[in-house]
Amino acid sequence: MANLTTRFFGLDLKSPIIIGSSGLTSSVEKIKMLEKFGAGAVVLKSVFEEEIYAEFEDEFNKQSIGYANQEYLDYFDYEIKNDKVKHYLQLISEAKSSGVKIPIVASINCTSGSDWAFFARKLASAGVDALELNLFVMPSDVERDAQSIRHYYFHTIKKVMAEVSIPVAIKISSYFSDLALMIKDLSETGVAGITLFNRFYNVDIDIDTKELVAAKVLSYPFEYLESLRWIGITSPIAKCNLAASTGVQDYQTAIKMLMAGASAVQVVSGVYKHGYDFIEEMNKSISKWMDANNYENLNDLIGVASSKSVKNPTLYQRVQFMKHFGGFTGSEEE
Amino acid sequence: MKLETSAKTIIDSFNYNIMTTLEEYLKDRREQEWRVELRKKLKGKERTDIPRVHMPEVDPNERVKYQNMEVNTGLSKEQAIVEASRCMDCANPTCMEGCPVQINIPEFIKNIERNEFGEAAATLKQTSALPAVCGRVCPQEKQCEEKCFYKTKLNKDAVAIGYLERFAADWERESGSISIPECAPSNGIKVATIGSGPSSLSFAGDMIKLGYDVTVFEALHEIGGVLKYGIPEFRLPNSIVDTELENMKQMGVKFEKNFIVGRTASFDQLKEDGFKGFFVGSGAGLPRFMNIPGENYNGIMSSNEYLTRVNLMNASSDEFDTPVLKGKNVAVIGGGNTAMDSVRTAKRLGAERAMIVYRRSRAEMPARVEEVKHAIEEGIEFINLANPLEYYADENGRVNKMRLQHMELGEPDASGRRKPVEVEGLESEIDVDLVVVAVGVSPNPLIPACLPDLKVSKWGTIEVGENMQSSIPVIFAGGDIVRGGATVILAMGDGRNAAKSMHEYLSENN
Repeated sequence: MANLTTRFFGLDLKSPIIIGSSGLTSSVEKIKMLEKFGAGAVVLKSVFEEEIYAEFEDEFNKQSIGYANQEYLDYFDYEIKNDKVKHYLQLISEAKSSGVKIPIVASINCTSGSDWAFFARKLASAGVDALELNLFVMPSDVERDAQSIRHYYFHTIKKVMAEVSIPVAIKISSYFSDLALMIKDLSETGVAGITLFNRFYNVDIDIDTKELVAAKVLSYPFEYLESLRWIGITSPIAKCNLAASTGVQDYQTAIKMLMAGASAVQVVSGVYKHGYDFIEEMNKSISKWMDANNYENLNDLIGVASSKSVKNPTLYQRVQFMKHFGGFTGSEEE
Repeated sequence: MKLETSAKTIIDSFNYNIMTTLEEYLKDRREQEWRVELRKKLKGKERTDIPRVHMPEVDPNERVKYQNMEVNTGLSKEQAIVEASRCMDCANPTCMEGCPVQINIPEFIKNIERNEFGEAAATLKQTSALPAVCGRVCPQEKQCEEKCFYKTKLNKDAVAIGYLERFAADWERESGSISIPECAPSNGIKVATIGSGPSSLSFAGDMIKLGYDVTVFEALHEIGGVLKYGIPEFRLPNSIVDTELENMKQMGVKFEKNFIVGRTASFDQLKEDGFKGFFVGSGAGLPRFMNIPGENYNGIMSSNEYLTRVNLMNASSDEFDTPVLKGKNVAVIGGGNTAMDSVRTAKRLGAERAMIVYRRSRAEMPARVEEVKHAIEEGIEFINLANPLEYYADENGRVNKMRLQHMELGEPDASGRRKPVEVEGLESEIDVDLVVVAVGVSPNPLIPACLPDLKVSKWGTIEVGENMQSSIPVIFAGGDIVRGGATVILAMGDGRNAAKSMHEYLSENN
């Protein structure tokens, strides 16, 4: 039986299947089930700064019935923040004391400088094994140039790493004009891993009501291709481990990601769709495939199809269909 | 607040059975002969041309030497009459919409104008249990005065309703002829308030008028709640509160000090003793902190602790065995009235540098405008657009420095005020040897902890319906324990509302 141990978040994992930050990791019971079915690590549901402000708004609206008391609400965001941290810390402490052995990683999603540090410090002190910074700036602000966004990433990482001594990994999007260089530079900051890519809430339009609505929450299997390409391109140049995320919904995709150079994969939609068995099935199938293909250790497999290892790495760079489209009939996709 | 909803409250304060509308009542009062004549005395323009009165105050250099010297000295009779004559006696008194206890504002002001100060005080007391207190601590500029005709239609300074309220209440007290409101014959039904702050006192005042046997239970050794332990004497002298309390005693309200409901006696024991209804006004005595590094060093305390020690435990005096730490460089974190009270107290206790550190600009501070003005006059330093990040200490663990993050104003938040946003990389350090954290308070958890069936919010506030009744029918609640944080007058409004509702409830269930 193949050895599935790997390394990510600066930690040894018994399986490359990491449960991504989601509702799947929101209680001790769920975390224990994820461990039981073979997850290598779990990333807890993110602490979202924007949730704090939404809750503040709710409280303000409640208070405003009659006469708003500005003094009471003046620092209420701290109250909400502390309450969120309290619950998060309780989850961590209960999970740890319940005997969960796999690494528990806390995830943070903030926009303001001081809150990153605040949450990082608190979560680290609660005994999590690593932090995942859910870093993202929506590049929709025409007043904000690329340099400023770039600075935000590096400044935040530096600030958080100065606050904590546990490993800090990041999860990023693909919205960069210099993505490969960005990943390379980020990997040199000392982070313990980079996950490519975050899957966001998406917006859609309801053509009947003509209103904006939330797009489908779970990923589709074909969405893995973007992550695969960039893992393949950047794994040889990154100074830290990479993990793949988005669209990893079967063992074949996981193997592809590992071959491209990912050290682990983050899964969420697969577990939502197929239940906890999905994790067990993934581990078994990867192991079986490795046995059949004579890979004893996962490390032997990781990167065998990266841009450094394949004969024709330029295929990772190709974006135009060219000849392929000339003879395309559509039947190949059916 | 809509007038329709106010109607019952004000009418009920006279007689809970009179059926009329507030509009009709106000119209009748306005058409009294003396008011009609008074309106004719001056033309509209003659009234509107009069500038708003300035409140006389003690010189800042003098007053900062004393913790118990009241800053405002009050209007003279002449000043009060001139200011009262500014009031247009509007047919639609919008100022009343801004008053949570629906004081008949034009009537009391017109009584001042015609030199009937006792009548003015009596008008105030019809709906307010604590007029001398409210005249001093209410944020009138955000309530009645904000709705004043001068402000809304003429874009001029509002009639100084708060100053006039204080004048009438003080005149009555100083005249020695304090009127005790009439009470209904005793109905023998025992009710209790838990806490003795403004909501409880307001509740007690209304219930005693209705003939109930009212006992106020207070955990501390002084009655008055936040009026005593929270507000310093330079803003609200204890003697003012004591006079109001004396009035209530004369009306028959009983006060029990050093009595912690839930510890000294349980609710069940009190029920066995015959209490049929409870009003919980136990306030918000649980300090909040920011949870930043170093906040546990010596020399960093909550405003609750700082002010309670000074106001209630004589901590400013070295002769007492419960002294408070004094500092040369004192930083108070926050921008509300509690922060102003704390920083001005620090100045009076000898601070060379007494500083407000507030993360928004001065314009966004929730403190009363007058308190900020007084603080500036007294030499308080304002470090705006700055927020503490971390505290440092000397080898003895006493705070000696703080690191500040400088801020700028971003987009408005839910309150409409612009949100403070960090200016990346802009930090500074300042020397401090005392820090008072005044960033708000949370509800007192004791009563909810004693009553598992009592429904509370995630923030620890007691959940009540519009009638202030809790999930336990015999328990009503109001003030900070319901709202998290309320102004004095808002808490008093809750107390009145609860009294009316409990009266209805007990009338139906006894």
